[in-house]
Amino acid sequence: MNTEKVLIKTRKLKKYFPINKTTNLKAVEDITLQIYEGEKFGVVGESGCGKSTLGRVMLQLYPQTSGSCVYFGKSIQELNPKYIQKEINHLKTYQTKASEFYQDSVKIDQEVEQLEAQRRVLDVNGSSVDAKKYDKISKKIALKEFKSKELKKNASRQLREGSRTVGSLILCENIEEIADLFTKAEEEVKKAHECLVKLNEHQNKVYENEVLINQKQTVDASIQELEAKNELNEEEEYQLADLIATKKNVQNVDIVKLEEENKQIAPIIEDLKNQIKKHHEIEMGYRDQAFAFKGKNVLPITERTLDPAYQAKLDENYETGINLSKLTKSEMRSIRKDMQMIFQDPAASLDPRQSIGSAIEEVFAINTDMPKRVRKEKAMQLLTRVGLKREHYYSYPHALSGGQKQRVGIARAIALDPSFIVLDEAVSALDVSVQAQILQLLNDLSEEKNLTYFFITHDLGVVKHFCDRIMVMYLGNVCELADSKELFKHRLHPYTESLLDSVPRLTLQEDRKKVEILEGEVPSAMNPPQGCPFHTRCKKCMEICKSEKPEYVEAMPNHFVACHLYKKEEK
Amino acid sequence: MEKVLDIQNLHAAFSIQKKDYEVLHDISFSINRNETVCVVGESGCGKSVTTLCIMQLLPKNGKIQSGSIYVDGTDLTKLSKKEVRKFRGKKMGMIFQEPMTALNPLLTIGFQLRENIINHRGASKKEANAIAIEYLKKVGIANPEQRLKQYPFQLSGGLRQRVLIAMVLSAQPDLLIADEPTTALDVTIQKQVLSLLNDLKKDMNAGILFITHDLGVVAEIADRVVVLYAGRKVEEGTTHQIFKNPLHPYTIGLMNAVPNVDLDEFEIRPIPGTFPNITEKIDGCRFNPRCPHASSCPKCFETAPEMIEAEPGHFVACHLKK
Repeated sequence: MNTEKVLIKTRKLKKYFPINKTTNLKAVEDITLQIYEGEKFGVVGESGCGKSTLGRVMLQLYPQTSGSCVYFGKSIQELNPKYIQKEINHLKTYQTKASEFYQDSVKIDQEVEQLEAQRRVLDVNGSSVDAKKYDKISKKIALKEFKSKELKKNASRQLREGSRTVGSLILCENIEEIADLFTKAEEEVKKAHECLVKLNEHQNKVYENEVLINQKQTVDASIQELEAKNELNEEEEYQLADLIATKKNVQNVDIVKLEEENKQIAPIIEDLKNQIKKHHEIEMGYRDQAFAFKGKNVLPITERTLDPAYQAKLDENYETGINLSKLTKSEMRSIRKDMQMIFQDPAASLDPRQSIGSAIEEVFAINTDMPKRVRKEKAMQLLTRVGLKREHYYSYPHALSGGQKQRVGIARAIALDPSFIVLDEAVSALDVSVQAQILQLLNDLSEEKNLTYFFITHDLGVVKHFCDRIMVMYLGNVCELADSKELFKHRLHPYTESLLDSVPRLTLQEDRKKVEILEGEVPSAMNPPQGCPFHTRCKKCMEICKSEKPEYVEAMPNHFVACHLYKKEEK
Repeated sequence: MEKVLDIQNLHAAFSIQKKDYEVLHDISFSINRNETVCVVGESGCGKSVTTLCIMQLLPKNGKIQSGSIYVDGTDLTKLSKKEVRKFRGKKMGMIFQEPMTALNPLLTIGFQLRENIINHRGASKKEANAIAIEYLKKVGIANPEQRLKQYPFQLSGGLRQRVLIAMVLSAQPDLLIADEPTTALDVTIQKQVLSLLNDLKKDMNAGILFITHDLGVVAEIADRVVVLYAGRKVEEGTTHQIFKNPLHPYTIGLMNAVPNVDLDEFEIRPIPGTFPNITEKIDGCRFNPRCPHASSCPKCFETAPEMIEAEPGHFVACHLKK
């Protein structure tokens, strides 16, 4: 699994909803995870555990409070986001600020030393003599120590931010030169991006023409074929009406002219592709030049900067993907084509006054510039792909059953060929027999289009058999993360255990072993318990659970758990 | 054994644009005292309509065409509206799916509980308070005295459902109807409520009619099971019979469609096709468009199958089981 390509990486993702000036609803706390391409990633938990919020924060439907969410499905070259240039311009500031912060902290450290010396003098003279003064100095020391710690943290925060764009190069003395090289590379990216936009336009035109030519060539034969039949069933009648409409549409199409047009476009496309390639080569050249500085002329900004381990850590921060939270609104909009969402209630996500056809077409009308007839053809293809009929194009949501409505929801989500889909309880509102049909469809689609699913549900039976990996959440925190088979075989976290025991089973009372019922209810996220969030209901609760938050450790290979029962093994 | 509820040949219909569409066709089953019967089926199969028929709460465009419903030996279909009111709440109580909509948000829990007890048991306000506390304790609510002063919004979903159960039980009904009482709850809370109902069953001396679409819940709580499909009863038997030896292709299909947590390998096998609309007319067995065996049996398309007793207490309506 680890050899596969990462699609989305979140680091300490947090989402708080402010309730009033002093309280926050802590919906999602420090989620760090990686989702691989083509994977079905399941998230389970009770209502209010933050699973839906997490899905929405990843799509940037809610802005995150802190942390990062990096998307690797599209390269920086393809999107050409604005924030990168901004970050490059800011590199020098990061460096100077880090160094300023550190110098300040060093100064304060010196003051602390002086104060400590004063205190020692008092100590020698007998502490009982001037206890008041002694306390005063002690307080001062504590305050200064805290200040210095904060400043040091700030310094490394600045360096970390900088390292996102250039890795450990942020420590180099010639940062201005490096920034210059990166700017040059960025200009090449911009040029390549402009070519790419043109290329897409031309390619779309060619596709459109091909569709039209194909329709014109086949429409007469198809109509004849249908008319030759004596009796038509309902479906065929629809088809015939459809074909006649298409014929009218393509009446004025001149095949020769369109083919001529396509021939003219072909060399332009070739040329643009070459240009893009050239720009990329130049860009890589600039980047190589910049990275040649790596490890040389390292500035002693903080005490750690000379340590190769720290440099390696900064290198790890180097982002090759797109940091979603730094995108502008319009950039996020264009990337959202890649990241779609399917909702729980199919009826609520469709407009009752809009026909199914126009609901699906709307997606193309907003995001592409396809002409109407191509949109219609595309929408009908999508309908057949999700197991509906072409004539459903003309019907309204009320005429469809729950399962069929959900299929329309799926058709809309896959319309733009996304790579990542968040399914928020997508099958929970459906009856079991229909639920199984939809799961089968989702399975087929993911194999066909190499989709990645972020599957949010409370149904453990569904995740077990549908997902590759499962994450269990409780009160905004991750409890356990493992491959789905592994999770059910070795349930490590007590919460996972209770959750699994609570699932209504298809076995009879007499064949069942007695289980303990999880008592109590989920505490409020506004005021979560100290220490481990689950300790108030946990039957294996220990003293340490009440005060200290458990660390997130790899208890077994690829099996992560956050519980004090499983300590990090000393190696 | 004493029958608390006995439904015989119930036919019910809804009129849509002046046309009658049958939603329940020849439904018969009974519930004994201290027994839990589960009615299972997909949405639209008529399980909720059955409960509405029993409570005599059908909407204006629905009516019972024929058949009788005996609660404690009295045929409800023959009673006037006024007489039915004496039954509703007193002899038969109902728990709904969404506990928030069943409680009045403007009144305290205590007021709503007391009102019920005073009306149905003729107690004074003081006695009613004592009874309310007693029943809240029974359903496992800590500090009942304080809860009585609270409003519904101050309680969580699981607690609200417990309050409703206490409210229904405090009238000491002979029949308890629960329409998907745990569907809106989380699994851990669902488990709590189900085990509470199982514990209460022994000392409340009533029959329970439990409506659900979740077969896992059925296994948890039921003594007997009735499977409905498109307004018809397709199978009835004890829980043991239905789970160990399901006979009707629909029941088998339902069992296979549930992703089972206990299995290591599971292949998703949905029932093909979609659930028929009530306006749709299907000749013969209503399940024939989706049935895997129908193509080899011409009878399925001609006549509707009759209920037969496949083994003692286990009934099925399928041509293939003759």
